[in-house]
Amino acid sequence: MTTLAATAELNSIESSALARSFTGGMISFARREFRDAIASKWFVLYTLAFTVLAVGVSFLSLSGVGSQGFAGFGRTAAGLLNLIMLVVPLMALTAGAGSIAGERERGTLLYLLAQPVSRTQVLLGKYLGLAGTLVCSLCIGFGVSAGVLAWKAGGVGVGAYAMLVAFTVLLALAMLSVGMLISVVSRKTTVATGLALFIWLSLVFVSDLGLMASSILFKLRVQEVFGLALLNPLQAFKMAVIVNMNASLDVLGPVGAYASLTFGGSLAWILASTLVLWMVVPLGLATLLFARRGTV
Amino acid sequence: MIHATNITKRFGRVRAVSNVSFEIEPGEALALWGSNGAGKTTLIRCLLGVIRFRGRASLGGTDVRRRGRNARALAGYVPQELAFHDDARLGSAMVFFASLRCVSRARAAETLDTVGLTGHERKRVRDLSGGMKQRLALAIALLSDPPLIILDEPTSNLDAAGRGEVVEMLQRLRRAGKTLLFASHRPDEVISLADRVLILEGGKIQRDTTPLDLWPTEKPVQVVRLYLTMASEEHAAQVLREAGHAVHLNGQGLCVAVPRDRKAEPIHALAMQQIEVRDIEVLDDVPAPGEKL
Amino acid sequence: MRPAILAILIGLLAAVAPVAGGATQRASVSVVADLIERAAPGDEIRVPPGVYEGNLVISKPIVLDGNGAAVFDGLGKATVIEVIADGVTIRGCTIRGSGEDVTGEPSAIRVTAANATIDSNTIEDALFGIDLQEAPNAVIRNNTITSKDLDAGRRGDGIRLWWSHGCTVEGNTIRGSRDMVFWYSEDLRITRNTVADSRYGLHFMYSHNTVLEGNDLYDNSVGIYLMYSNGITLRGNRMRNNRGASGYGIGLKDCDDITITGNALLANRVGVYLDNSPSSIGSTGLFESNMIAFNEVGLLATPNTHDNVFTRNAFIENEQPAATHGRGRLVSNTFARDGAGNYWSDYAGFDLDGDGFGDVAYEPRSLFGAMLANEPNLRLFVHSPAQQAIEFTARALPELRPEPTLVDSSPLALPPTIELAIVDSGIGGARMGVLAVALLSAAFGLVAAMGSDRRLTAQHTGGGA
Repeated sequence: MTTLAATAELNSIESSALARSFTGGMISFARREFRDAIASKWFVLYTLAFTVLAVGVSFLSLSGVGSQGFAGFGRTAAGLLNLIMLVVPLMALTAGAGSIAGERERGTLLYLLAQPVSRTQVLLGKYLGLAGTLVCSLCIGFGVSAGVLAWKAGGVGVGAYAMLVAFTVLLALAMLSVGMLISVVSRKTTVATGLALFIWLSLVFVSDLGLMASSILFKLRVQEVFGLALLNPLQAFKMAVIVNMNASLDVLGPVGAYASLTFGGSLAWILASTLVLWMVVPLGLATLLFARRGTV
Repeated sequence: MIHATNITKRFGRVRAVSNVSFEIEPGEALALWGSNGAGKTTLIRCLLGVIRFRGRASLGGTDVRRRGRNARALAGYVPQELAFHDDARLGSAMVFFASLRCVSRARAAETLDTVGLTGHERKRVRDLSGGMKQRLALAIALLSDPPLIILDEPTSNLDAAGRGEVVEMLQRLRRAGKTLLFASHRPDEVISLADRVLILEGGKIQRDTTPLDLWPTEKPVQVVRLYLTMASEEHAAQVLREAGHAVHLNGQGLCVAVPRDRKAEPIHALAMQQIEVRDIEVLDDVPAPGEKL
Repeated sequence: MRPAILAILIGLLAAVAPVAGGATQRASVSVVADLIERAAPGDEIRVPPGVYEGNLVISKPIVLDGNGAAVFDGLGKATVIEVIADGVTIRGCTIRGSGEDVTGEPSAIRVTAANATIDSNTIEDALFGIDLQEAPNAVIRNNTITSKDLDAGRRGDGIRLWWSHGCTVEGNTIRGSRDMVFWYSEDLRITRNTVADSRYGLHFMYSHNTVLEGNDLYDNSVGIYLMYSNGITLRGNRMRNNRGASGYGIGLKDCDDITITGNALLANRVGVYLDNSPSSIGSTGLFESNMIAFNEVGLLATPNTHDNVFTRNAFIENEQPAATHGRGRLVSNTFARDGAGNYWSDYAGFDLDGDGFGDVAYEPRSLFGAMLANEPNLRLFVHSPAQQAIEFTARALPELRPEPTLVDSSPLALPPTIELAIVDSGIGGARMGVLAVALLSAAFGLVAAMGSDRRLTAQHTGGGA
């Protein structure tokens, strides 16, 4: 017992001089980031906007059908899908883009890095904190609109709705990763935000419209259209949600039918992994670049 | 405590720090002396491992590049001006840094007390005065009671009273056996705090000396600001350094530290080189080395 | 109770005595055949509880009452009960284990005589459920039917009528079967049936002059499919979530004089599908006061479709309210009768004079919809902001706008009140409520866990680490 106590004491003395464990420090940053973010204007604004829009979509799509509202779950979800694809990437990309670039611009990054922390810890901690903020924001929006659904449509599609929330969280985390990568490579906040908006526009509109145009112009085959669409995380997200709701992609026409037929049960996994890749790869790249960066 | 070997840092084509090597023993207080752009700040950032550099540096035997986190745990850092989220409250900032340094909240409160900031926990960082900010930075640096404190011109943004407070606290730390490394361009601070002075110019170590050697007199030292008519200040500074003066270039004339009874010496030295002095200004009194503030 | 029944019961007990002992008692179906043999026409035979194995043929007008405890098991061979006499009633029996090979179309019950009553039976593990072949005036009521565990296409029909006029089919529940199908059968009464998880809920082939009312058809490939059948009225039925390969709520192929009123077509792939209906000159199709909501396409028609009248229907939140199969428009149909059009939830007009009708015509011109007709691959991009962008562009640049798919000259300003016959009461709203609460608590839990700003000052008074 005495030896044990002595060892413990020794450890505590040593650790007081040493840096905090990797995860411990990361969590400190995550908490700091989370606290700063939820007190910030953007969080309040986005959460409010998302909640109001989500509730509006749920409410409007179910009005006029009386007690048959439960059948409208699919359409409500589709409406939400549209909204999510528009708002969530914007939210996550700009939040991520502002993170490191903002600290750099304010000069606070240098001071943080002079503490006993590693760059990886700072980046991942910030990522975790912002991820928590986004999850928090999404939970509020989805929670309130789930209340509207419970009231107007009953409990149809509880599982599907939960999956919609889960996939949206995945999408938000993926877009946050991309945002962090933007933040790491940008010297100024304005540049980072501009880049984030550009990427948002590309993912939301430009790539889809481009793919539509090339599908028409080059008479792309279904597998080519599917493969190219898969590159866009938003399309992967949409397909994942629809596969989970309908057990097939037939709703998406010949391309969806092809995907369902070719990949069958593993389609949901393929789509989910695509999103996970979009989360892991940019974040990994951001970590690497940030750690190798010569300056602050 | 600090071991630096051939530290070189380039920003593009500019060598901000060039081949700098030095050592600091535990308990020693070392001043980095040099004009703006001499490389003091860059050198400090290298030593902390905040930026990448060539060469080797270790704090307390721990390599800052390979084990930066552990190396930095041995050092408290005080920047020129505390840069932290302006909206954060002083108390929560302390809690955050306490959690990073793995010390208890009680210890954080105690540290805050030693810098005399108890009672200001609810204030936001942006509402703090310059002096309070520096005291907060000092408190954060002292949280884990590290053996080494690194300060980058900690008083440059403070008024005379604020400077006095900070210098006094640093003297206490020095007496407590801490190793100090600080950048400064104020002879008074160097004289009252440093055992050794590294003179940096153009990213290179010009001299590794002592305050006494720089200002070799028991007499009080004064800083004289010289305004030149035409000539380049760079050249003039070079001339004065060769004549053994401590020179600081800050864009508004040349500041030269001189013994109180030999104020004309630098003017004379310049006149020898046909450099004309338009005006002189005598700055605040500076206490002699060893003398209490 | 007639003495004859008593006698039969006693005789039966004697016959099964060696193996008697419980409700799950197994015996050969010949036991029941013997009972029938001994019964007089018109007798009611109370089958004692037990499992009767083998195939039974009823050739005498009797009542066979299983009282909910008699099980007839064909042991996977042929048709389990075959009725070849007029006026037979089968009631309260469980019938299972027909053959599986489609040749000979093995059924649970096959009737080839008139005036049969099949009432309150449970049919399971049978390729076909109830098969009426030239069996007019039968009553099939309150039966529960499931087919064999096969692909939908390889199953038999839950209920099939073949050349059987004047039958009543009501209150039956069919799950996991193929179709409830009617061939060449007229003047039927088909009410309050439920068909789910099957292929076609109700399927009419060359069967005319029938009313279908209050049927609930969901999770099938198609809700109601009428083919080559005329003079049919659909009233108060609900077609929901029929989303198979074709996925129609109601499909009409070459049908004349169809009246469709007060039905709910919800969340199908296509609400109403019109394929060359009406097909004869001078006949019409009337759609009045139906709720057509939440479908991918509300109304889909082949381009040549004409002479349908749509009035006072509610088209709510369909991904595409109306579209044609391939190119073409729906303008040969009437979307307003006697000055009353339909409600369209995507109508962007207004009703300034407050007469309940929109002041401008409803003319859907979806550019994306028009593109889909030419490039079906583009359907991949539905539900995406890019689709909205295209529609927005079309609104901003009139020269890009396609011709309207249809014209409703007096659209309803508000959704009409449609009294639906089938209403589910309280579908587990609590579970969604729980999810709502869970999500909100997750949010606040996160704030509590991550954001709690435990103050430094507390340490001064409280102490501790």
